Amino acid sequence: MERPDEEVLKDYLGGNDEKAADMIFLRYKTRLLNFCLRMLGNRADAEDVTAEVFLALFARRYAFNPAAKFSTWLYTVARNQCISQIRKRKNVVSVWFSSKGGGDYEQMEAEDPRDTAGRELEKKEAATLVRAALAQLPYEQREVIVLREYHQFSYEEISQVVSCSLENVKILIFRGRERLRMALSSLIKEDQR
Amino acid sequence: MIEHIKIQELISADYDGQASAEERRMIEEHLQGCVDCRKYAEGLSKLSAALRVWPDEGLSPDLERKIRMSLPAAQTKEGSQMKTQSRFITVGGGGLIVAFLVLVVSMQVYTQRGIQGRRKGAADNIGGQYPQAAMPEIKSKKQSAKAPQYEPYYRTTEYAASSVDRFQGQELLRMAYDKGDRFSPVSTKMTSFAMSETNVLPGGTTLAERSGLWNESLHNNLSFNTEQYNRIYENEFMEAAQNPLSTFSIDVDTASYSNVRRFLNNNQMPPRDAVRIEEMINYFSYDYPKPAGDHPFSITTKAAVCPWEPKHQLVLVGLQGKTLETQNIPPSNLVFLVDVSGSMDQPNKLPLLKSSFRLLVNQLRDEERAAIVVYAGNAGLVLESTLGSDKQKILEAVDNLQAGGSTAGGAGIQLAYKIAKENFIKGGNNRVVLATDGDFNVGVSSDGELTRIIEEKRKDGIFLTVLGFGTGNYKDSKMEQLADKGNGNYYYIDTLKEGKKVLVSELGSTLFTIAKDVKIQIEFNPSQVKAYRLVGYENRILAKEDFNDDTKDAGELGAGHTVTAMYEIVPVDSTETNVSVDKLAYQKTEVLPSDDLMTVKLRYKDPDGDTSKLIQQTVKAEDVSAEPAGDFQFASVVAEFGLILRDSKFKGNASYEHVLKGAGVSKGKDPYGYRAEFIELVGKAQALDTRTGSGTQGINFKGE
Repeated sequence: MERPDEEVLKDYLGGNDEKAADMIFLRYKTRLLNFCLRMLGNRADAEDVTAEVFLALFARRYAFNPAAKFSTWLYTVARNQCISQIRKRKNVVSVWFSSKGGGDYEQMEAEDPRDTAGRELEKKEAATLVRAALAQLPYEQREVIVLREYHQFSYEEISQVVSCSLENVKILIFRGRERLRMALSSLIKEDQR
Repeated sequence: MIEHIKIQELISADYDGQASAEERRMIEEHLQGCVDCRKYAEGLSKLSAALRVWPDEGLSPDLERKIRMSLPAAQTKEGSQMKTQSRFITVGGGGLIVAFLVLVVSMQVYTQRGIQGRRKGAADNIGGQYPQAAMPEIKSKKQSAKAPQYEPYYRTTEYAASSVDRFQGQELLRMAYDKGDRFSPVSTKMTSFAMSETNVLPGGTTLAERSGLWNESLHNNLSFNTEQYNRIYENEFMEAAQNPLSTFSIDVDTASYSNVRRFLNNNQMPPRDAVRIEEMINYFSYDYPKPAGDHPFSITTKAAVCPWEPKHQLVLVGLQGKTLETQNIPPSNLVFLVDVSGSMDQPNKLPLLKSSFRLLVNQLRDEERAAIVVYAGNAGLVLESTLGSDKQKILEAVDNLQAGGSTAGGAGIQLAYKIAKENFIKGGNNRVVLATDGDFNVGVSSDGELTRIIEEKRKDGIFLTVLGFGTGNYKDSKMEQLADKGNGNYYYIDTLKEGKKVLVSELGSTLFTIAKDVKIQIEFNPSQVKAYRLVGYENRILAKEDFNDDTKDAGELGAGHTVTAMYEIVPVDSTETNVSVDKLAYQKTEVLPSDDLMTVKLRYKDPDGDTSKLIQQTVKAEDVSAEPAGDFQFASVVAEFGLILRDSKFKGNASYEHVLKGAGVSKGKDPYGYRAEFIELVGKAQALDTRTGSGTQGINFKGE
């Protein structure tokens, strides 16, 4: 087994290990970036947030509770940053989700999946479709789905990251999947071939 | 209806392993009679699969470097807060601009290569990643109108800065990204375009979002993974009593090591099948005694307790080829066969290739010859065979190489061999140097047919060196096969440093063959050895009859080259049981008592010879030492590292710590820094490796 994150972090906090910070960075950079990417939907924001989280971590701007699991804690920080980013961007256009151009960012939150996804299924390629499908989820659903599907978090861990009850996580994931199922129906069907 | 929704909610939770036993029973009961819900249950895994079509992406190198720079190790602890803040702004901004520049390059690739090529690549892909073909849609809208006006940055001559060999290819790449604006008017235009767009975009769009789009498709592009590796089935332990003979061909390729290095430097674990342990071991040269006597090489055998499995022993067989004084090296007749297809149009391919070739050309002696054949769409002769005294002409031809079109490897190979034959230097080093990413797709492109052409040509006494370039579309499987069949060597060039190692430092060795069809056969003594396993060399195994069969092709040994092979041995007194075959009913084999551990037999041909010569040597049981030392130790830790990367079932107690410790002890003088680099790579792999149970078995980081 490799050395657990918590231990690496302890060494780092205790100033015992110069490599510890680098190690944490290596372990988490891809995971965090992709979490942010899927949360925010665009690379610039995702990279900003990722950088911010790491820099904050290494500048010790957040207190780490040694009793908590490090990964859960780090994702919590990232998740909170993402949400404040989403709020900041609320009134700004997000370009790459909408190939129509000039689409409102609100669409990421509000638009009916059957419209965006349903109509353009045929011409859009799979990955764009998945991006769009995730983007149209309300962020409460998006975050739990991303944590579950892409990061294999347990419901327990998810409930800690997004600070809500287990029951709530269950419902959010279920609803998120419902929406995704509809948005991605063409992909899922194709799979059955 | 409500019930269905309730059940589906439970199914969803159950899919994630979060349903209680009670709930699972409810679900099962319901599914018995409900087709819809059954469908729903099945759909969940399909949904997960569909979601994975969006693959993980990597941090842009620039941003990564900047974050790392602010890591605590790189600065003092206190007072960093303000600094970090302000630095952060540059991080974001810098990233964006770089994003733009990089994209210009990738767009070019796209336009030139054409989407079909991509798709085809994707269809060929056996790697299991989802083809990522989403980009054209977005791109066509925003970019295609602008893209074709620009020249790729490296077409400008400034790129050909001759100081390139001072930094490694990673740097080279970064330079290409970072400094794109210096090298080409293109990027400058792009940058100013980017700046102005900030103002003109409607609806309050910021540059950030724009570049998000651009950068995005770039990264899709990079994560578009159609690299191909042949599956490696590891050698198993063989019982010495049943199979006393082990036969294989030597392999002096080193491509796998540099390819693994490329992955680790990109902070990715290499795919298991990209790890060929023998090529990792042979990347390093070891200090074996110089050959004396008639044979062109010496044989060294060593035995010790196996470092990753103390119950076993490790036997090393090392060959050292004779070295030639520079003035005694026979003249070379080289034909560069350069893939200039669209897929080569990336900074880590054609430009790196040109820089590497330039180094080689500068080494050419006056009486030597070089020609250049390119292939893409059609194969063509770019430079007729030219004497080394006319370096300027050769260099110009190298500089003028440009990428575009699809790849007709077959015709190119034919033409290259033809020219090599026309300019044949008797007793010299006649060689085709093929540089490619291996993605042949026009004309003769089936592996079988290509190898047949090459096999036929090697009878003319022309050797083949294969240089692999690039990422993402890399066909390792094909290239290794080509080199193997063409009496050749295969290298992977990931950095200019590697280009230098291969083309300059080893020019004298690998480019001049001193022995060909070198085969090794080992006979193990069942009275001392219970079972054995050849470490690596999986695709070089020969049948025992092949050893004495001079028509069977095998590996070549270059001047000054070392080749190392290792066997893991289970001593006869071990209590381990192997799956064994029943005793034969009609035959009785008698084991002669002997102290020998094994006999090493070696066959080789002179470079122009047709009949092989035999050398023999025995290893005694008492030769086994307690621990491998010196170069033997270093070779063993390289093997151990390979076993970990492959997550081999034979890795025993192998651990990153152990590798690091052993490599540190046995590093030796390391004049070129290759071994120090190895240690660095092990550290990287250790940090990256998140597979449970791999590597560090309960031992603490840093070896405490």
